[in-house]
Amino acid sequence: MLAEALRSGDRTKLPGRRHEGWRWTDLFGALTTVPPLNPERQALGSWSVPIALDGVVVRRFAAPIQGGVEHVTLEVPAGDHRVVLDLIEAGQGRYVRDLAFDFTLGVGASLERLVMIADDADAVSVATTHVQMQARCDFAQTVLASGARRQRVETHVDHPGGAGRVRLDGAYLLAGARHADQTTVVRHLGRDGESRQLVRGVVAGAARGVFQGRIEVLQGADGTDARLAHNGLILSDRAEIDSKPELEIYADDVACAHGNTIGALDEDALFYAMSRGLPEAEARRLLITAFVGEVAERIRHPGLRDQALIFLAAQAEAFDGEGR
Amino acid sequence: MAADVETLATVEALAGEKYAHGFVTDIEQEFSEKGLNPDVIRFISAKKAEPDWLLAWRLEAYARWLALDEPDWAKISYPPIDYQALYYYAAPKEKVGPKSLDEVDPDLLETYKKLGIPLKEQEILAGVEGASRYAVDAVFDSVSVVTTFKAELAKAGVIFCPLSEAVREHPDLVRAYLGTVVPTSDNYFACLNSAVFSEGSFVYVPPGVRCPMELSTYFRINASSTGQFERTLIIADKGAYVSYLEGCTAPMRDENQLHAAVVELVALEDAEIKYSTVQNWYPGDAEGRGGIYNFVTKRADCRGDRSKVSWTQVETGSAITWKYPSCILRGADSVGEFYSIAITNNRQQADTGTKMIHLGPGSRSRIIAKGISAGRSTSTYRGLVSVHPKAKGARNFTQCDSLLIGKDCAAHTVPYVEARNGSAKLEHEATTTRLSEDQLFYAMQRGLSQEEAVQLLVNGFVKDVLQELPMEFAVEAQKLVAVSLEGSVG
Repeated sequence: MLAEALRSGDRTKLPGRRHEGWRWTDLFGALTTVPPLNPERQALGSWSVPIALDGVVVRRFAAPIQGGVEHVTLEVPAGDHRVVLDLIEAGQGRYVRDLAFDFTLGVGASLERLVMIADDADAVSVATTHVQMQARCDFAQTVLASGARRQRVETHVDHPGGAGRVRLDGAYLLAGARHADQTTVVRHLGRDGESRQLVRGVVAGAARGVFQGRIEVLQGADGTDARLAHNGLILSDRAEIDSKPELEIYADDVACAHGNTIGALDEDALFYAMSRGLPEAEARRLLITAFVGEVAERIRHPGLRDQALIFLAAQAEAFDGEGR
Repeated sequence: MAADVETLATVEALAGEKYAHGFVTDIEQEFSEKGLNPDVIRFISAKKAEPDWLLAWRLEAYARWLALDEPDWAKISYPPIDYQALYYYAAPKEKVGPKSLDEVDPDLLETYKKLGIPLKEQEILAGVEGASRYAVDAVFDSVSVVTTFKAELAKAGVIFCPLSEAVREHPDLVRAYLGTVVPTSDNYFACLNSAVFSEGSFVYVPPGVRCPMELSTYFRINASSTGQFERTLIIADKGAYVSYLEGCTAPMRDENQLHAAVVELVALEDAEIKYSTVQNWYPGDAEGRGGIYNFVTKRADCRGDRSKVSWTQVETGSAITWKYPSCILRGADSVGEFYSIAITNNRQQADTGTKMIHLGPGSRSRIIAKGISAGRSTSTYRGLVSVHPKAKGARNFTQCDSLLIGKDCAAHTVPYVEARNGSAKLEHEATTTRLSEDQLFYAMQRGLSQEEAVQLLVNGFVKDVLQELPMEFAVEAQKLVAVSLEGSVG
């Protein structure tokens, strides 16, 4: 919807509160005008990630100068295994970008993907991924977000069932007035599919975290085993987390569950860490890093996992002085 | 709701149908003109001999209603409702507000007897020594037929009467509270109700009084092409306690009938209201013909500190259920609870849940929702837990479980959570499964038939909610659960 608005320059095409799926990510309200499309890109940021990582395809996406629309496809041939690191890099200023990814996985193919998205605090940024899978595919994704004026990472997976597996994880660490939205839709189309999701987030200052996760099990997709968990921490009384985990089930022989918790940092754990000699700020950082770190620990590729942990630690560092 | 086992069994045996309350009472009735316009509203208001302010209030609501669109976000589908093809007022002739039971039309008494609702106090009293009693307000289409135990309740200072009577007898109370929880402009169906509401119960429990018995209202739709639009207002003053129960049934017809009620609860400091519903409107037949469209707005305002409201609902009837009993937790340390069982079979559709709006510091809420879908039905839990910045230390626990019986049914869970402060603690968990084959097998190899085994397991599944109902109703509800699911396996 954002791409359409950018292409046509028509502000009324922007998604907003009128649209159920965008009630907490109001782009219409955030943008008083739609910036013109401009193919030029800002310079790549000095991301501390090596360009070449062993066995990993690293792709870097520079921010547009004004408005930018980009469409990226990736095909993993049957039986092949790929590891991808998508770095959606920050630019400067009030740019608006729409990134669309289309992944196609052949029979028995597997893809592990890490998305790290950085944006300017004034930017509006949406990245949408559609994944088409065949039988016996394995798709695993981790999204690490740091927010923007409005930022949304949306993933749709059509799961054919069979022996296929899907993992869709995410983490967000938000400070200042940043907003980040992680939205997932997993559609189980065939028998005996499995999907797992873990999303964790921490918000401080006046930040706002949004999580929407929908599991659909279509008629005939019996034997589906789908689980989703979202856990949020709110560190400040001005911060907000909105979440909506959804189950939409049309088959009876299934095991589907979701869990959703939102709370404050565990004071007992904090006390324990401090009684062991850690200064308060460090104790907080330790707890926050451990909380979101569990998401990174689920990444199979060791190089990718390390990058994720470094990213999260850097984000937690930025929390100092916030969240009281 | 209190249909006793014998009635249930007898009617079922005679009709060969699963719905025990599907008969029609042949009684002379008076209608408003068909359709909805300001004149019909004036007619209803005049029938109730209402003061001018109430008529103005209704007309204002009507004007707002005209400007609203019917909501379409729920997971339900139905053909467009023709609001001009309904009667908005139907009443048994000349029986508006009888003074004593002797004046009540015997046909009506017979109807309630058939439904198992005791309206004669002496009959109730003649029961077993020590048996618990409850007062009943019986609403038949658009009017209240009789309210029992009024005198005894009055001794305790409790006002329990039809709303239209309260408007006449206690206008200040009604005016002070009516529409303060669900304003006329609240939503499409609440707005319609505000314009045409015809009856309902009014309860006022004075400060410090514990209502001496259970109160209940029994709603019956009888006339065809008629909508029922009752409005209930319950006020528990400081430190008061009241337990209230509503039940509903309707005849079996091929047409769909509209029921759009509004319930407003107000709990002041330290007050507690327990509101239970056993909803058994006619659900339509196996092919989805007929049945009640149930569009209900229920909301409680926990105004006072340490006030508490508990909603318990057993939803087994209606072709369509659209209902979200809510709590606005305004007072400090106020408590909201929602316990629900929603059972859908055949082609029923239910979209139900709750809203817990935490405004007061230390407010707590608890949601237990159990959905059971069978046949070709759809059951949706839709809920909102919202914690505002001032609700420091707010606490919510939500559990939604869905049970699927059969290949063609659907179950959905749509919980919204909005947390806006750093000291709230919110937990939500939801599961969807089918009846466990292992458990069924175990129960059957112990000698139970398949249907008995399913009943046993389902009763276990909904136990957490059933135990929140007043005891005598819990027994009835348990039977209702079994009847609703009949024919869903094998």
